[in-house]
Amino acid sequence: MISKRIIPVFLLKGERLVKGTNFTDFIDVGDPISQGMIYDAQGAEEIMIVDIEASSNDRLIDTSIVNSMITKCRLPIGVGGGVKNLEDARKCFAAGGDKIVLNSSAIQNPSLIRELANEFGSQSVLVSIDVKKSEWGEYDVYIFSGTKKIDQSFEKVIDTIISNDAGEIILTSIDQEGTLAGFDIDLYRKARELIPVPLIASGGAGCYDDIVKVLHETDVDACAIGKMLFLRDYDIVRIKSYLWGEKIPIRDS
Amino acid sequence: MRIGIINNGLGNVGSVLSAIRFYKYNVSLVEKSRDIKESDVLVLAGVGNFKTAVSKIKEYKLWDLIDEEVTENKKPVLGICLGMQLFANKSYEDGETDGFGWISGEIVKIKDKSVRIPHIGWNEVIGSDRHIFNNLRYNSFYYMHSYHFLPEDREVIIAITKYGDLEIVAAVKSSNIVGVQFHPEKSQADGLRLYRNILEGFK
Repeated sequence: MISKRIIPVFLLKGERLVKGTNFTDFIDVGDPISQGMIYDAQGAEEIMIVDIEASSNDRLIDTSIVNSMITKCRLPIGVGGGVKNLEDARKCFAAGGDKIVLNSSAIQNPSLIRELANEFGSQSVLVSIDVKKSEWGEYDVYIFSGTKKIDQSFEKVIDTIISNDAGEIILTSIDQEGTLAGFDIDLYRKARELIPVPLIASGGAGCYDDIVKVLHETDVDACAIGKMLFLRDYDIVRIKSYLWGEKIPIRDS
Repeated sequence: MRIGIINNGLGNVGSVLSAIRFYKYNVSLVEKSRDIKESDVLVLAGVGNFKTAVSKIKEYKLWDLIDEEVTENKKPVLGICLGMQLFANKSYEDGETDGFGWISGEIVKIKDKSVRIPHIGWNEVIGSDRHIFNNLRYNSFYYMHSYHFLPEDREVIIAITKYGDLEIVAAVKSSNIVGVQFHPEKSQADGLRLYRNILEGFK
């Protein structure tokens, strides 16, 4: 049986990891390579590392960090930040990334998803979507780290991404992100109806029961966690033991 | 024993190199015909599209050389994920493309209503080869693929993975040829052990 995945998300600013609240107020949370080794040893299912300033600054994530990580970590690594074309993606794969994480560039130019899927296989193309709830209760899609709202509806954005052959989607609630207040359950229920490929819930994990709830009450395939790991007294070993006790299909490690 | 990982410009070879090096094997990336000939074991890795992989290997003018080393000189070869898929007669990914044909069978898209495609994540591998699947702790390995191998002769299948109602071919073996659909280099401690088991079997 395939197990649910627990994915620490590394936000990179320069050479350091940071963690914020609702996409602002970032503080330093350590070195990506040493943190990667820790979560690998604790049995994380994979790691996602994203340079949050790359797209806005019109540059690519520093792939040498990925290259150092793969010599020390034995788990899949998703790499994102400023990937705009085939050449950028090739650099990320050459450095050792296993999948490419696309956000702003894929939402602005969905044909990039198809182009990368044709070259590297759709299983290697992960699209990241950031949403915020509007005052009317609808989900608006944002790019450039939550700074620019997209005119298209949430449903339309997802439909376009799926029809361009994205292999996997990570959906982040900007409202919940970094709050430790739990996942937006309705968001993932709604999204699951629209998304046939693997779906990763992201934003709000603050305690064991938040993770249990999203995995029990929605049919997501994986959970991203950040602040709970970096800035609170939790680790992957105990999180997975707790999930096991709650009868969630989780991998022994 | 010199292990040569074919450097085919398809990414991911760095992780394989680093994982095999863990147990101090003499391993390097090879792309020149002399280095390939001097290797005692060849490793075919890579991510991506079958058709792109075949055209890359042909563009590097390594196709016939690898084929000759494996079929005529009986050099041990290990294929990982797409590298294993290249063993087949052909793949239906993005049209129809011929593989090496070392193990008869075809690569087809996973089609089943009970599962999500791509198959991404950690899944349990049930192995029947006592040497290769020896001394593993959890038998769970990382997968990321949408196409899978359907060998003609079921005898070559040495491991399967259950995915919904499906049984995915997880590993194949036929004399000097061993392939795995999952990624040992991404599968933490059991992945390292599995590489060691396979390589020791080539000695």
